[in-house]
Amino acid sequence: MDRALKTRLEARFGTVLAGEVRQRHDQTEVRIGAKDVVDVLRALHDEPDLGFVVLADLAGVDTGREMQVVYHLWSSTTSDWLRVIVEGLSRDDPRVPSATFLWQGAEWMERETYDMFGIVFEGNRDLRRIYMPPDYTSFPLRKDFYLPDDAARSPGAGVRHMERTHHPAEASEAPLRSGTGA
Amino acid sequence: MATNAPHGTHVSADDPHVLLDDDYGLYEPIPPYPPRTERELEFYTPGDGELYLNMGPQHPSTHGVLRVVLKLNGERVVDIDPVLGYLHRGVEKLCENADYHQTISQVDPLEYISSLFCEWAPVMAYEKLLDLQVPRRAEYIRVLSGELNRIASHALFMGWFALDLGGLTPILYAFIERDEIVEMLAALTGQRMLFNYFRIGGVNGDLNHDFLSRLGDWMSRAASQIEANTALLNENEILVRRARGLGVMDGPTALRYCMTGPNLRATGVPYDIRRAHPYSVYPELDFAIPTRSEGDSLARYLLRIDEIKQSLRIIDQCLEQMPDGPVTTKLPRLLRPRPGRAWAGLEGPRGLYGAYAISDGTDQPFRLKIHDPSFIHLQAVGALLPGHLLADTMAIMASLDPVMGGVDK
Repeated sequence: MDRALKTRLEARFGTVLAGEVRQRHDQTEVRIGAKDVVDVLRALHDEPDLGFVVLADLAGVDTGREMQVVYHLWSSTTSDWLRVIVEGLSRDDPRVPSATFLWQGAEWMERETYDMFGIVFEGNRDLRRIYMPPDYTSFPLRKDFYLPDDAARSPGAGVRHMERTHHPAEASEAPLRSGTGA
Repeated sequence: MATNAPHGTHVSADDPHVLLDDDYGLYEPIPPYPPRTERELEFYTPGDGELYLNMGPQHPSTHGVLRVVLKLNGERVVDIDPVLGYLHRGVEKLCENADYHQTISQVDPLEYISSLFCEWAPVMAYEKLLDLQVPRRAEYIRVLSGELNRIASHALFMGWFALDLGGLTPILYAFIERDEIVEMLAALTGQRMLFNYFRIGGVNGDLNHDFLSRLGDWMSRAASQIEANTALLNENEILVRRARGLGVMDGPTALRYCMTGPNLRATGVPYDIRRAHPYSVYPELDFAIPTRSEGDSLARYLLRIDEIKQSLRIIDQCLEQMPDGPVTTKLPRLLRPRPGRAWAGLEGPRGLYGAYAISDGTDQPFRLKIHDPSFIHLQAVGALLPGHLLADTMAIMASLDPVMGGVDK
């Protein structure tokens, strides 16, 4: 846990941060809003005393109430991983600026997040589905996407966790693809 | 494929010809739907004299099922558009619907060449969620088996790489090496490929006699065996001349492409998470971080050989320093970590393996994000390939060592 990083981040970003800087084990966590993503990431990447040059991961999260985009960054100036959580994205129309202006490699990670959560990364020039077929309409990792499971109708239904979340009535409302195409 | 049925004849909807005749030209390089993004429009607008070539998904040397659409000008590659998803299994969703122990076997087959590292990342993240201290003997066993897995993976890479450059013999030798290691790991874990060996708070089973005697046998001749294998390739003029200068990338560009592991270190950036962000017992071990400055396919290949030698050193030290003690922590069958978030990143044979786990206080992870280096490195092919010959496509792709199981999650 790098206490100095916490003071440095608080001094540099101040009120831009939503809530306090949290630290646990080898991770430091800051929360920001979608409007500050470009400025914060640019400062973290470009300023030599921060120097977070490695984008380790980009993840989407559906908390059930809102969407989040989570960046994990590494810098040689600290012994901690830095986690930047972009919070407060609406579930109906989640939008966040793309990180491809700093890391070209974020392009596919953003495509994956778009594919799985429907989060739109503004500025990503190739934001199309990456895993699911092009005519697919759902976003599988959203919390309102139930895992269809034939075993749910088995005598053991309700015993396994996987089946407990399954509601056949809701699953049948999901848009079914016609037998054509992929 | 057009149907032969005359006009007006009834054709059953179940007729496969009807399905193939659908407006979805799956095997047409140019999609029938309007371009969805700026980039897709750019790619599918042919310039003067340019043509498209479809490669895959069932191509003998794409290391799995990968489809690549190539835009060619003569024999030169202008641009590429990889099409992923043929191996997509939705592992992250499955993990959200399994309890913490069960997820270990779910993530196992992600990268089937080096499964131990796929297990290690989420296990490490869970241990942070649970504030768990892993017994030192378990950490040493993890490092020991992990480094063996790294050698097995790199050994196979050497064979693959040569195979994709057109040499059939080296892969047969590579498999001798790999086979000995997987047999050894099978004695330890019970499985040859999908080990399912790491447990939250330790490993499943202590070192046994069978494993140790196989390991001892192999270690006594490993160095010379690897030396002989590399001599077969390193002194091969065809391979060296072909791979030199192929797919050159510089350090800053590699960092912008989020590359890690041997592919990044071949560009001269000494970034190895075992040293950059130490975990497990790596701070207690003495090993070097080999780097190379050329950044081409040959450098990526040679760097992996250097890494094998370092891994052998680590294994030696692990065996010497192996402490006594328990290898597991007593934990309840159902784990309920208190709500929180944890990220773990570690250095695998291909680069950064990571896991981001969120707990909501129940016995299943609320979210588990797996970070796989193959996915990131495959993306960089688009930057490496333009300007190269069509025949070098596979050579460059192989030098980055992607595994499609990890790419498609």
